[in-house]
Amino acid sequence: MSERVVIVGGGVAGVSTAGALRAGGFDGDLTLVDAGEFPYDRPPLSKDFLAGTQDIKQIALKPQQWYDDQRVRLMNRTTVSALRPADGAVELVDGALLPADRVVLATGGGAARPPIPGAHSDRVHVLRTAKDADRLREALGSGARVLVVGAGLIGAEAASTAVRLGCEVVLADPVAVPLAAAIGAELADWLHGLHHRAGITTLHTGVDGFTDRPGGIEARFTDAGEPAAEPQVFDAVLLGVGMVPRTEIAQSAGLRVEGGIVVDERQLTSHPAVLAVGDPARTRRDGVLLPRTEHWEAAQHDGARAAATLLGTTPPPATAPWFWTDRHDRHVEAVGHMASAELTVVRGSYDDPAFAVFGLRDGHVVAAASVDDPMAVRAARRMIDRQVAVRAGPLADPSVNLRSLLRG
Amino acid sequence: MSAGDGIRVASLDDIPQGEGIAVDKSVTGTDDDIALLRDTDDTVYALNDTCTHETASLAEGWVEDGYVECPLHSSRFCLKSGEVQGLPATRDTCPHRVEVRDGEVYLFPGETP
Repeated sequence: MSERVVIVGGGVAGVSTAGALRAGGFDGDLTLVDAGEFPYDRPPLSKDFLAGTQDIKQIALKPQQWYDDQRVRLMNRTTVSALRPADGAVELVDGALLPADRVVLATGGGAARPPIPGAHSDRVHVLRTAKDADRLREALGSGARVLVVGAGLIGAEAASTAVRLGCEVVLADPVAVPLAAAIGAELADWLHGLHHRAGITTLHTGVDGFTDRPGGIEARFTDAGEPAAEPQVFDAVLLGVGMVPRTEIAQSAGLRVEGGIVVDERQLTSHPAVLAVGDPARTRRDGVLLPRTEHWEAAQHDGARAAATLLGTTPPPATAPWFWTDRHDRHVEAVGHMASAELTVVRGSYDDPAFAVFGLRDGHVVAAASVDDPMAVRAARRMIDRQVAVRAGPLADPSVNLRSLLRG
Repeated sequence: MSAGDGIRVASLDDIPQGEGIAVDKSVTGTDDDIALLRDTDDTVYALNDTCTHETASLAEGWVEDGYVECPLHSSRFCLKSGEVQGLPATRDTCPHRVEVRDGEVYLFPGETP
């Protein structure tokens, strides 16, 4: 077993790796290098933290004591500038070498900043870090005119927070129904409709330019290259158009990078001493590069797998992918691959306070999504993982206990 | 603190297997409501009801094989010890002693199981 492990990056993937290593009995030196004051959780950045109802201490991933208890040396406010596997070390930004027999890259990513003319304005925000959220919060006063570009998870959640804070919000996305692939077109359409019902103006357009004006920033809207909607002036703009994996140090070390740091199913990169986890990791399975997963739980699972690889133990079994999103006081969860379903059934109705949609294929659940009914998704996840045969009728009947279906 | 025989708070039949019910703090006299959680082997456990991460009721969670999973963000807690098993929660929750006698559930709030 290696004696010195350095984890680069203190997001949920990095911290999970550290926790799983110690839980698995790793007894060597364990160092976590992170740019921030301490590792914090990112989902609240578009929700309670952005709203100001949670502070940075409340979103710490672990209490300070945990690092002592787990003998994790937390090197905060620093970054790794280069991997030096031949020297058995990583190089820190100040030039110091940190000994490392194995390195786990948990470098996360940065917010995508598409080259839209005028997007360098101070009024244009992104949302990836606590600092980003602090800066954006200052722009979200009551009555502020806010444009959110991109209606995926972060854009939709931030728009929901902004309208709750009393902003006048416009949400623009060239995709007619965001999230359709993840939760099915019908539910995605319903979910997107919540924005309008909450008082947000939704535009089915892209944005192709910004111009700073006295007292605001003008945005020009576009639809497939043609001008759409009249230009409008906003106090602030948030670009929520995805993330760019942070792969620089992997790349300069000569590791294989293709739209992400390429890893095998054990999180090993093309260098045997280096692993990668979380957002920047891209798995190659049977010679095929899979899409990167950018979800919170997937990052945690990567960490558990990386720890098992380092320890030479059996990794935890894979489970169907799961994520949640909170917006307009509705809690949405999704599991599995809805795009692979050939039949969908609704449990309850879209007008109910709580309901769920199940995707089936060949008599098995392959996906589910729920609104304020998380237990439906927890049941579905087990149906998927255990490959339980189920019929559509009982699934659709809210009076049938889903646990009873799970028992078969 | 508590009566020697505990407080009768429910019948076993009130709690479906793999689920939980919350007992109000006005009944338990504790700071938080207490979740009675019936495991898949029918053993009943009691934990503070509010997840230590955000405001969610563990009684509405998924109970299976010795653990309860929070309904909001899937933090898992050990039913016996209240020990947190994974993120996003970072703090353990508090277990309480519970007994089932003749199909009735008796709770001993504040007593370690």
